Amino acid sequence: MTYLFSPDNWEWLITGNNARFILEGFAINLEIAAIGMVFSLLFALPLALMGISKKRPVRVAARLWVDFWRNLPLLLVILYLAIVMPTSLREAYESLVPGFFPEALQSGRVLAGLTALVLYNSAVIAEIMRAGILSLDRGQGEAAAALGLSYTQQMRYVVLPQGLRRMVPATVSQLITLNKDTTLVSIIAIQEVLSKGASVYGFNFFGGVQAPILHVLIFIGLLFLIVNYALSRLSRRLELPGEEGAARVSGIEDQVAPVRAA
Amino acid sequence: MVELWEAIADNFPELASGYWLTVRTVTISFVIALVIGTAVALLRIAPTRVLRAIGTVYVEVFRGLPLLVLLIMAFSGLRRAGVPITATVAGPATLGLYTAAYVAEILRSGFFAVGKGQREASLSLGLDGGQTMRHVVLPQAFRTVIPPLASLTVAMIKNSAIIGGSLLATQDLLKEARIEVGASGNATPLFFWAAVGYLTLTVGATVIARRLETRYAVRR
Repeated sequence: MTYLFSPDNWEWLITGNNARFILEGFAINLEIAAIGMVFSLLFALPLALMGISKKRPVRVAARLWVDFWRNLPLLLVILYLAIVMPTSLREAYESLVPGFFPEALQSGRVLAGLTALVLYNSAVIAEIMRAGILSLDRGQGEAAAALGLSYTQQMRYVVLPQGLRRMVPATVSQLITLNKDTTLVSIIAIQEVLSKGASVYGFNFFGGVQAPILHVLIFIGLLFLIVNYALSRLSRRLELPGEEGAARVSGIEDQVAPVRAA
Repeated sequence: MVELWEAIADNFPELASGYWLTVRTVTISFVIALVIGTAVALLRIAPTRVLRAIGTVYVEVFRGLPLLVLLIMAFSGLRRAGVPITATVAGPATLGLYTAAYVAEILRSGFFAVGKGQREASLSLGLDGGQTMRHVVLPQAFRTVIPPLASLTVAMIKNSAIIGGSLLATQDLLKEARIEVGASGNATPLFFWAAVGYLTLTVGATVIARRLETRYAVRR
């Protein structure tokens, strides 16, 4: 306890610009999460719709794709893509990145990390969307069909607006997971918060001040706790008032898990 | 194709030992997660406010922190602080404690899914609060939450790769594959076999869970 709270062990936080250095790293994590989320949502919707398609080959292909990415460790995908991503693609990315992006995101390595995050998260979110759509009463689609709406119209005006609203809480929970997963790109040497933290505690005596690993990580952890706690409150607030007996879609870690209310 | 078979033939002992370590890690973490998770879930529904608050703090902290941050804290952080913790202990323990927060949340939803009448019936039969929890509520709660627990187990198996990926000197499946990639310079075949290894575990867990579900699930 004395080790934890001794002011000497916290002095690094107000020395030089250590705190700012780490906060800048954290901003990179949030940016990667935001970009990753946008692209994941974009890819997830077609995947989800293919997953409930009436054509069997389409459905099977979409399910296999989704299950493949969902069942692999994200870190394995990140490390693999970091090794095999062709230089031409990296260079294309580097030339395409808008100039106002922070330096850490300009590196071609980010492309591997982002691709892995999007492959994985779009599969998970597609599954959340599919569960949301399937949790709708079948009568909704049937009624729309009886009214003479085409399949596209049924989806567009009846099924998706209701189904997608049910998936909002689970998607926000998934954003928490994605947020945490952004730390994994530190392993492929992207300058995000953990890499920056490591260089703070790596210099054992930064300007004559010791920065213990535990303390640096507690500071970084607090940043994540604040953001994720806010997101978790938001997710709870967005939950629809419980419908008796209806299957609820809830995000647990990174998987879809319908829990039946009694 | 030939490359794939060569890769597994040349590196079989290393990959197999990595696979075995992953299996052991996952098993130990699973037990820790279930035990601690049940305890935290009971705290979360405890009659005392203080106990409930402790449960809530546990869940929010372990769910809000990235596993990688927890792992570095538990190993490098504690070692620097003078605690002689080993990677063998720190890895599975951290993964177990992290997963326990999710187990607690799932179980809590399971408690609420058990009808109030069950509890009342049990109490009116003369069972006390502890007995009601132990013999009536918990068994039904566990059975209700088999599907989400299965999803969580899959997530935990995947997360176990982060132990080897962080600073810990753990040579699990992914780590072994990476070491061999470093030695041979040929990434695809080795990552392929590592992926196959993880898929056998994650898909295997899903299949087992589905079987348990048809056998024990509570139908309502």
